[in-house]
Amino acid sequence: MIESLLQTLLNGAASGGVYALVALGYTLVFSVLGVINFALGALFSLGGYLTYLLMGGRISANGALPGWGLPLELPFPLALLLAAALTGLASLVVEKLAFVPLRRRNAEPLLYLITSLGAGLVVVNLLQMLMGAEGYAFPASALAGLPAAVVVAGARIRSVQVLLLAVCAAAVLALTLWLERSRGGRALRAVAEDATTARLLGINSDAMLRLAFLLSGALAGLGGGLIGVSISLPGPYVGIGYGLKGLAVLVLGGLGSVPGAIAGGLLLGLAEAMVPSGASGWRDALAFAILFAVLLVRPSGLLGRRLVEKV
Amino acid sequence: MLLDTTPATSGFSLLQRRQRGALRLSGLLAAAIGTVAIAGQQGDPSVKRLPAAGAANGALTIGAVIALTGNANLYGQDQRLGIDLARRWSLSRAPQRPLRLQLEDGGSDEATAIAAFNLLIKQGALALIGPTLSQQAFAADPIAQRRGVPVVAPSNTAKGIPQIGHFISRVSAQSSVIAPLSITEALRRDPKVRRVAVFYAQDDAYSTAETLIFQKALAARGLPPVTIQRVQLADNDFQIPITAALQLQPQLVVISVQAVAGGNLIRQLRELGYRGQIVVGNGLNTPNIYPICQRWCDGILIAQAYSPELNTPINRTFLRLFRASNPGESPSQIAAQAWSAYQVLFEAVQRLQARGGLEDVGLGQAREALMQELLSGRYDTPLGPIHFQRDGEVVQGRFYVAQVRMDPGGRTGRFELVRNASAPASAAPAAGAATSPPVPLTAR
Repeated sequence: MIESLLQTLLNGAASGGVYALVALGYTLVFSVLGVINFALGALFSLGGYLTYLLMGGRISANGALPGWGLPLELPFPLALLLAAALTGLASLVVEKLAFVPLRRRNAEPLLYLITSLGAGLVVVNLLQMLMGAEGYAFPASALAGLPAAVVVAGARIRSVQVLLLAVCAAAVLALTLWLERSRGGRALRAVAEDATTARLLGINSDAMLRLAFLLSGALAGLGGGLIGVSISLPGPYVGIGYGLKGLAVLVLGGLGSVPGAIAGGLLLGLAEAMVPSGASGWRDALAFAILFAVLLVRPSGLLGRRLVEKV
Repeated sequence: MLLDTTPATSGFSLLQRRQRGALRLSGLLAAAIGTVAIAGQQGDPSVKRLPAAGAANGALTIGAVIALTGNANLYGQDQRLGIDLARRWSLSRAPQRPLRLQLEDGGSDEATAIAAFNLLIKQGALALIGPTLSQQAFAADPIAQRRGVPVVAPSNTAKGIPQIGHFISRVSAQSSVIAPLSITEALRRDPKVRRVAVFYAQDDAYSTAETLIFQKALAARGLPPVTIQRVQLADNDFQIPITAALQLQPQLVVISVQAVAGGNLIRQLRELGYRGQIVVGNGLNTPNIYPICQRWCDGILIAQAYSPELNTPINRTFLRLFRASNPGESPSQIAAQAWSAYQVLFEAVQRLQARGGLEDVGLGQAREALMQELLSGRYDTPLGPIHFQRDGEVVQGRFYVAQVRMDPGGRTGRFELVRNASAPASAAPAAGAATSPPVPLTAR
């Protein structure tokens, strides 16, 4: 019984960690701009492919440059971090193309959804043109030295899932500490609170906005690389599903709430894991039914009270 | 109208003027409808006459709707290669009526396949090959059926595909014929198996059809599954269903999902400690799974409709052409079926042409005649000798069970033949039909 419960908790935490990572990416942009960046799922995919290429992966026969690869072969941790940084930079490009022109015109928030969705589709299609649509698997050497799975008190979990959970937890912790304790983090929170007042206080709100996009993209890229090593890259659309789950987590946790994104991610992961084996076909439906029920009781999300309200 | 203040100006009463106006309007409408009808008829390619065989534009178009994008691209790239090799082979045979191949991306979803079918039919394709997935076929084939365009499915194995209509046929034997063979082999290897876990993608027509066949075969051997794990087509993280299944300690796992998800499922099963036999369905019948499940693919059992070891002239030609473009590799079943789909169309067209059936006829008539010719012929393909039942279902005499053997590096591998089997009685040629002769197999 305890073994079974532990297995469920581990399964849920491993899935939920990635959902939380993506939801945090949404949260950062939402808290400073009040809109949702729909391109985040595509950036997730981009992070996965960049990690693959940085590890020495080659483009397959259906790609634009068959057999081509970067002239380097970085170890997985380094490739993961570099890919996350590059995805952050790509996120800045998305911001420049899909958000800045609308912000200058004080456009309706709905328009940002459309432009960011369009930017995401462009990224996915570019990936498909460049890399082809087939799946890519990271070399088995990516996790050399790690056992295939570990057993914790009778519950079995793949080592890569443990790694994924640990990296997600570290990223979330680092981001939370940075937001709470660093000068930059406090400036970002000030802009999220009120951009105009923050500007009057000497904070460059445009720079903070760019920082939010950079971090948001980096988190998505990190998630993409981790998922890539865990389940391979089934195609350029791999991030879209995670993007949608992250969006659900964002709403579940409470729009703009960092702790809410973490709690929401873990809750959704656990909800999926707790669906009984006999009802496995209803996994997504039951998980989202829980989300629905939570929102009925707390329309502002799990930790919605902590939402930063703009005046 | 009760009040009319308009003065009469031409000696006609108001009523007469209105009648004349109505007549003019009717005439204009009739002319417009006639023009539209004529234009429509001109736009309908089925009424166009076929060009003469010797004319400069005498080549007839065969359309191929193949998944070049999306998840099913893993199959599509094998199919594209198989069709292209068959086209090159056909050109070397100096055909009386040349064929022109037009390839369209059918994507991996229903909407893209439908769009590709519509485009090719509108552009006057004589017949179509495709689409890649059964799920797509159920959506796109009815369009070809309504427009009277012959379809040869190279890889649709779900139940009911040829029964969509009399213009629909397939060279891919349905799962019910092939799938149980791998179960038989697994149980032959380990007769003590009592606990079987089943995984399948519940949102995919092929997977749901195939798993029922697997489950029926298991039930017939007194082995109802201890667990049935339903996953989604787009799932790739299977930690939750796998750990749920492994708690029931299965001795055999039977999988019906598509290639990418299947590769991940096998890998994760092994990583999570499952050491028993794995039987997989047709969705994993492609070497493209090797990079995904890598060394964990080793040992999985799969029933196949093709073996590279079939020692017939046409298969040797197929192998030679394949290996010229892919040195050191062996073709997959999907590539062989795609070749066969093109080959049966090519041979049916040439027979029809030889009888004058494609001279001075409209495209619609030619399509109808081609379908009849296709179903009446016998073909020696890389799959072995095949022909069709009256409803378009393929009749194939011999099937195989293969085991995946991965190379030491775990990045490449091959399907190693472990057993060849005659078709079950239900799949054998109908009474009165000529039976296929025994097919020689080369020793590896």
